[in-house]
Amino acid sequence: MTGHSWMELAAPYAVGALDPAERVEFERHLETCAECRADVQGFREVTGQLAHGVTPSAPPTELRDRVLRRAREVRPLPVRRRPTALIWAAAAAVVVAMVGSYGAWRASSEARALRSSLAAAEAERDSTRQVLAALLDSSVATTDLAATGKAPSMRLYWNRARNIVVIAAFDLPPAPAGRTYQLWAIEKGRAPVSVGVFNSTPTGRAVVTLQMPAGVKPAVSAVTEEPAGGSPQPTQQPFLVGSW
Amino acid sequence: MAAGDERALGELYDRHGSTVYALARAIVGERADTDEVVADTFGQAWRTAGQFDPARGSVTAWLATITRTRALDLVRARGRRARVLERAAQESDAGFAAPLATGDAPDRDVERQEARQLVAHSLADLPEAQRRVIELAYFGGLTHSEIATELKEPLGTVKTRLRAGMEKLRDALTPRVSRVGEP
Repeated sequence: MTGHSWMELAAPYAVGALDPAERVEFERHLETCAECRADVQGFREVTGQLAHGVTPSAPPTELRDRVLRRAREVRPLPVRRRPTALIWAAAAAVVVAMVGSYGAWRASSEARALRSSLAAAEAERDSTRQVLAALLDSSVATTDLAATGKAPSMRLYWNRARNIVVIAAFDLPPAPAGRTYQLWAIEKGRAPVSVGVFNSTPTGRAVVTLQMPAGVKPAVSAVTEEPAGGSPQPTQQPFLVGSW
Repeated sequence: MAAGDERALGELYDRHGSTVYALARAIVGERADTDEVVADTFGQAWRTAGQFDPARGSVTAWLATITRTRALDLVRARGRRARVLERAAQESDAGFAAPLATGDAPDRDVERQEARQLVAHSLADLPEAQRRVIELAYFGGLTHSEIATELKEPLGTVKTRLRAGMEKLRDALTPRVSRVGEP
């Protein structure tokens, strides 16, 4: 699955610009989306590079001792691998990146590119597996969401054992710029709960996996169009509605 | 703690200390606070080195993230956000834009100087409006909404500029990594 609307949040998330509610929601999404995690890491690299763009300022010489003194007071968190080895590995990586020649830089950049392609392929595979695993389960319930009129249409697969919802949408044009689609779960007599935001591809298709909030047992599911990032509560009448 | 452990940290500091220091300084401004942030940053790096996975990202990105978090926390704790914002709100390159835009100071480390120039050029290629939004987030720790309020611009405009600017920087700074997750 590529180009889904969560991608819009990777850059602001990496630089820390998401508003708190958006951040929480996106972090929840990151737990299940390797593709977005790879995207976030790409932008984290940018924030790392930007540190080189700051006006140089030489640290006072005594600061080095202070840093080492501080380390003596701090116990590294227990980890499986020894922190020393990792620190050395980190230092070695820096040696390659900073001291290495242009050729080494190119080589490391190619290695990064390969890692990225691999990450993207893995993300694609994970996402496919996730969809399959969610669908092939005896706990799955389905419902069709209908629009007033004909197109678009949507089918939801709700894996109640794992609280996963797979959306399959047809003839749904991508949301306009700065807008997104949002799926709501509505329990009897209660306010709608957001299940997540999504978008469709230019071909009008969407296959998206979302996490049903724990404990929510919707009687009705509905889709609205909302500002990018989604809304806490629907801001318009749903254009797709289906009952479970 | 064995002497070898300390040597490893010393090595990390020698490679990255000046970058971390300059970044911390650009955010907190004051020297004493900068020292504090740098010591905190390497302390945290030391403590959490086990969580760092070289396969998933660079040391620079890891340290820069810790540095920014620590520096912005300190600025907020000191109640100096107003001053940061004031600096950030200055329109000219002499204001908040300078730390990111200046890239030609001499440096004995040729590689670092090259990195600096690449970043400076990439930033110079950004439209001013996109650069400012990124600077407010990067140095000021402002969120989308706060930036919109600060610049009196619509939220959607701010979001679009930030994302477009970051994407351009990613393409310029890590050209081969930029296709991740795109069709």
